[in-house]
Amino acid sequence: MSPSRVLGAAALVALALGPWVLARHQLSLLTDLLISGLFAMSLDLILGYTGMLSFGHAAYFGLGAYASALVLLEFAQPVPVALAAGMLLAGAVAVPVGWLSTRSTGVYFAMLTLAFAQFLYTVAYKWRSLTGGSDGIAGVPKTELFWGGPSLASSQAFYLLAAACVVLSLLICRAIVRSPFGRALQAIRENERRFTSLGRDPRPFKLVVFVIAAVFAGLAGALFAPFRGFASPEVMFWVFSGQGLMMVTIGGIGTLIGPILGAMVFILLQEILSSYTEHWMIFTGVVFVLIVVFLPGGLVGTARRLGVRG
Amino acid sequence: MANLIEQLLNALVLAGLLFLVSAGLSLVFGILRVVNFAHGVFYMLGAYLGFTAVAVTGWFWLALVIVPPAVGALGALLEASTLRFIYRRPQIYQLLLTFGLALILEESIRIVYGPTAKGVDPPALLQGAISLGGLLYPRYRLFLVMLSLAVGAAVWLFLRTTRAGLVIRAVAQNSEMADCLGADVARVRTLVFGAACALAGLGGVAAAPMTTAYLGMGIGVIVDAFVVVVIGGLGSIGGSMAGSLIVGAAQTWGAFYLPETAMVIMYAVMGAVLIFRPWGLFGEEE
Repeated sequence: MSPSRVLGAAALVALALGPWVLARHQLSLLTDLLISGLFAMSLDLILGYTGMLSFGHAAYFGLGAYASALVLLEFAQPVPVALAAGMLLAGAVAVPVGWLSTRSTGVYFAMLTLAFAQFLYTVAYKWRSLTGGSDGIAGVPKTELFWGGPSLASSQAFYLLAAACVVLSLLICRAIVRSPFGRALQAIRENERRFTSLGRDPRPFKLVVFVIAAVFAGLAGALFAPFRGFASPEVMFWVFSGQGLMMVTIGGIGTLIGPILGAMVFILLQEILSSYTEHWMIFTGVVFVLIVVFLPGGLVGTARRLGVRG
Repeated sequence: MANLIEQLLNALVLAGLLFLVSAGLSLVFGILRVVNFAHGVFYMLGAYLGFTAVAVTGWFWLALVIVPPAVGALGALLEASTLRFIYRRPQIYQLLLTFGLALILEESIRIVYGPTAKGVDPPALLQGAISLGGLLYPRYRLFLVMLSLAVGAAVWLFLRTTRAGLVIRAVAQNSEMADCLGADVARVRTLVFGAACALAGLGGVAAAPMTTAYLGMGIGVIVDAFVVVVIGGLGSIGGSMAGSLIVGAAQTWGAFYLPETAMVIMYAVMGAVLIFRPWGLFGEEE
């Protein structure tokens, strides 16, 4: 067995043991890490594998969170229905936004994703009757696994669901980037002009991966709402999109597993720093800038360069 | 009629401020091929430093003169100490870097000034309103329109008529060729970045008496400026001007006729431009 498989198996066992060895607040922190990691990983599909920088990825996380919150609170459906609703809404909104944004490349794409995300944020903020405005939707319950099935209200049960979603998503994303479609994305990242000159139109590829990334971000958001018990405009704000970018960069752009580790580092850094100062963001910002300048591969990329195969 | 003129003037005020920000954004893109995400924070920094300068000296005009060079110097320093080293990397790294700088600057401002908004009084000469054929209009807003027109004209003349402007346009057109012909490209990049930040800082000081200096004004203005340059086209001063006028008008009339959904108009215009000219009205197809 290769070292990466051993590591992966060890991580799976550790994740599965979580509910039996961790205290409640540790389990809750780990759930948080996994949800953020899923969000960061979905962003890596477009940032790392296609070379498109989105400043507005939080919008899809937020759409997932709102859809999930409404399904759970208003219709009291099982959690997986809420997850599906979150993925569906995020994906559905990503189609027109992606269609418009991927008509442009590079910096235009980055600016457009931010502009559309701020637009969606403002909609969430102003559509009080549906979203509760700045208060958001509170009291989102963790319902059951299926109709009449086991309850997910305990933090252990919900953790296991979140962990299963994240592991499954990681495997699906890995299959995507290794498929011919994923190879095409990486070809676009390396040299879009050559890709075009080989007779392929890059735009459909970019649109499809944009929507896929939005669907996974929507799943992360849909897990977030019942986990925290609320959905609010904050989770659609540009700051959260930026935090996603920071997690991806810290962990390693274009590595899928890196963003999940990056999310862990980011949130642990936040946990530690915020007990000393409320202005933890400035330190995280400095770490981020230093990594961009000196360690462009992030943690995983740098480890691989130093010879640790994984 | 009076109402129409008032709306028109409001649109011009907004367009003027947007122009000061988006012109710098566009200029930096032309020279560095980077969209500076931190640009809005320099605008915000200008407003806060303007507040401090007025509080310390009590003299608004002095603040208007000294704050922009200070903001510009900080911008040039940041370019020379960080961005300069990663121009060879893929574009996403430069964007990520300016985003990191924006976070650090924004948080620094929050630490220094706290969360409450800071009001700035306009100078005595520009307080109150002026009567324009039955319409009372704030003097300060008229001043903003004239200021942005004057700055726009000055930037255009500088780029078109001076030798330094010629070098900047040469670097924008083909930096490698300009380098071969003896232009100091690294210096041009630093100076243009600084000058663009100074323009944003000027916009911030000038805006402060009207909008106050508040946290979040940076992101607000950068999103609008992004829409401006998407509509007008990056790298073109004329495009920034046209885009600013369109966005200023869309926001003003939107706020008047459809208060709840004002920004929808702005985004609808942007969407239409994207469908028909994805590189902007005045931009060049890459």
